[in-house]
Amino acid sequence: MAANVTPITVPEPPRELRRIPLVSNYHSFGWISDRVAGLTEGKTPVWWWILFVPSVSLLGLLLFMLSYQISTGVGVWGNMHPVMWGWDIINFVWWIGIGHAGTLISAILFLLRQKWRTAVNRAAEAMTIFAVMCAGIYPALHVGRMWYDWWLFPIPNTYTMWPQFRSPLMWDVFAVSTYFTVSLLFWYMGLIPDLAVLRDRSKTKVRQFMYGLFSLGWTGSNRHWSNYEKAYLLLAGLSTPLVLSVHSIVSLDFAVSQLPGWHTTIFPPYFVAGAIFSGFGMVLTLLIPIRSIFKLQDLITMRHIDIMCKVTLATGTIVGYAYAMEFFIAWYSGNPSERFHFINRALGPYWWGWMLMVGCNVVVPQLFWFKWFRQNLVAVFILSIVVNVGMWFERFVIIVIGLHRDFLPSSWGYFSPSIVDMLTYLGTFGLFFTMFLLFLRFLPMIAISEVKGVIPQADPHHPMGGAKVHDVIHEKE
Amino acid sequence: MKSQASHSPLDLSKYRKVPAILMAVGGILAGLGFLVNPQQFAFSWLLAFMFFLSLGLGALFLVMVHHLFDAAWSVPIRRISEQLSTILFPTMALLFIPIALLAPTVYPWMREVHPELDHALHAKHPLFTMQGFYIASAACFLIWWWLSSNLRGWSLKQDTTGGALPTYKLRFYSCVGIVLFAVSLSLGAVMWMKALMHEWFSTMYGVYYFAGSVWMTLATVYVITMILDRQKVLSAVIHANQYYYIGSLLFAFTVFYSYITFSQYFIIWNANLPEETFWYLAREKGTWFYVGLVIIFGHFFIPFLGLLRIDLKSVFPYMLGVCIWAWLMHFVDMSFNIMPILHPDGFVLHWMDLGCWAFMAGVVATVFIRKFAAHPPYPLKDPRLSEAMGLYHDMPDSLAGEHVSHEAGRQGGKS
Repeated sequence: MAANVTPITVPEPPRELRRIPLVSNYHSFGWISDRVAGLTEGKTPVWWWILFVPSVSLLGLLLFMLSYQISTGVGVWGNMHPVMWGWDIINFVWWIGIGHAGTLISAILFLLRQKWRTAVNRAAEAMTIFAVMCAGIYPALHVGRMWYDWWLFPIPNTYTMWPQFRSPLMWDVFAVSTYFTVSLLFWYMGLIPDLAVLRDRSKTKVRQFMYGLFSLGWTGSNRHWSNYEKAYLLLAGLSTPLVLSVHSIVSLDFAVSQLPGWHTTIFPPYFVAGAIFSGFGMVLTLLIPIRSIFKLQDLITMRHIDIMCKVTLATGTIVGYAYAMEFFIAWYSGNPSERFHFINRALGPYWWGWMLMVGCNVVVPQLFWFKWFRQNLVAVFILSIVVNVGMWFERFVIIVIGLHRDFLPSSWGYFSPSIVDMLTYLGTFGLFFTMFLLFLRFLPMIAISEVKGVIPQADPHHPMGGAKVHDVIHEKE
Repeated sequence: MKSQASHSPLDLSKYRKVPAILMAVGGILAGLGFLVNPQQFAFSWLLAFMFFLSLGLGALFLVMVHHLFDAAWSVPIRRISEQLSTILFPTMALLFIPIALLAPTVYPWMREVHPELDHALHAKHPLFTMQGFYIASAACFLIWWWLSSNLRGWSLKQDTTGGALPTYKLRFYSCVGIVLFAVSLSLGAVMWMKALMHEWFSTMYGVYYFAGSVWMTLATVYVITMILDRQKVLSAVIHANQYYYIGSLLFAFTVFYSYITFSQYFIIWNANLPEETFWYLAREKGTWFYVGLVIIFGHFFIPFLGLLRIDLKSVFPYMLGVCIWAWLMHFVDMSFNIMPILHPDGFVLHWMDLGCWAFMAGVVATVFIRKFAAHPPYPLKDPRLSEAMGLYHDMPDSLAGEHVSHEAGRQGGKS
């Protein structure tokens, strides 16, 4: 076979271009299990309580504000004529957007064989689920009489009342609930092998029972792994269109209208890109401190941070393209209402909101082009917060500026949020962080089995996985 | 999946004259068409131009994305995209000359005697003036020339020098380039295709043209890769991964294109504003309605179902069929955008459409083959080449035993 071969040389990468391994320092399988499972074992650290108590307090505030709003009515919000959608919808879209990165990392990057996802997918998926829970609160309340929320579902009933299927708000109900269900299933299924690890390491009866119950009798047999891999692939395939569909549907809440600034064809991909942008912003905001507190630098490496920064930059630039295209087409169309709306965005009474949106989402993220910036954790952390702020203002610009000056100048108004708006929003952070801290304390925040699968020791073609060097060299012949 | 390298070498010498024949036959038909019916010729030429422009722009995008994301898998096939992207200048710029000369025949807005009385046109001043049209067109070609020549140039330098500098330069051009690319592609799509109905507007249009372009380019790159692999030109560096990834991207862009197309249609249909719907209404007249159905099924459902299976993505005859289908569907899609202006009553496949297309296919193929043959078929010293081939670096001696010697490296070719 080797008689007529043509020798070729394959250069070794220059030192400055060598890849950082996905798990630093060539740690063993056992080390990964110990490191990740150990986070859920032993005495609860003090820092956890320091964060948990304020989070639960904010959750209490949320419950109080919701009770107040339900007992009083939606009039306690700042919504007014003509801004009939205010902070409720802004916050709904913002939280839904944040809930996009998790399933993107888990499903789409899995289908694209992006191995780096393994270290961050679990926490990102958890973030997704909690963010969608926060988002779900708003439309449930916005209906006014939330005890009639069940009318949203097409349940056969004797009143012969059916949901208005032509309304995109109804599509939201199905899109978001489907997304939440599949994301939860996907997240839980990925947890099963790791829950079994925790079960096997448990030292108390309660832990053994609970982890045993939820690990569904996992033994790690070939048959289990075979079924697991198939199910994971299928769920990844099912989740992928959902990642695109949810925010596309949310964008249709606006785009199907005839309102200047809302009715524009680029909204679906623009919203999806913005959602991924804000989702990655939040993943960075959460994971940068976590990797330092938990000392996970060998598992969540600078390579992971670098790639996430690049995805944030890419999606932020797509969002910037959409902003520019909206302005261009407003001018191009010659439609006076469209032109007025976009001038009003930039120069009207809410000019500061527009400036914050463009500055935070388009201008400042351009710093991610520079490697020195992507390697500076403090800078990346600050910029990730800037991204989240910017994306909140994007929704503010679309909704409030889109509504406050309608076709009839006599009905123009200036929207200001009420204290209930603000405290309810603050309260949703309590729900989010309470859930996230519980997740960090009781569940493996890194996918143990998946990380093990991407280290060299797991690769039979790699010398560390048992391949002879000779086999590696001639493997393809 | 197995690499196609296990097959016997592919001999295509008997097809060597095909590009020249296409050029000759197409050139005669196009020339004759120009004499017989200049307006039909101008539209047919525009149709072929937008079709092959897609190929250059799609290839340019693939090269830049490769560098921006520091990808490894696409290193062995990068040269194909690099060479394809250089058709943008001067080839496509030269092929644009007939459009530039016949523009008033093609674009109704240029024939307006009193443009100030047409609000939709007047609002676009100064972009929609003769000067604006030519300046915008020239700017697009200059951007594409600057990007494609530098990206190919530094890649070829990398073949001789190696090291990190060419990689950094390529990343720099890609960073700047991706923004310029987005702007110029959108501008080109607006000025040359959307402007056929200048009253119509859609923020999605640039993305729509982009999605179709990359889709067709991926199919083309796939088939060129397979041919070169079977000819033993790339077999030393190609791995089964490359086929999986291009196939997956082709599948992804099948869905992306459909998502974009549907979103644009749905939002306009739902709002039902006359200033937007007239574009689609013109494409529901006569047989254009059926062309729309062909796009729905042929551009989405058929390739979607056909590309679902992983194993089929590495079967050469099958993927050749997919590629031909992608070319056909892109041609239909471009017709759907361009031709209802000239043939409002229904789809007409004119012999001049085929003539102009054949001429440009011959020109593009000749240029590509000549350029590709003049340089190494893959980036010889790219730092990610070994990773793409499945070789390993950075092994600590204590763990790896004998350290892998890369310069002594592996051997390519087959017995």
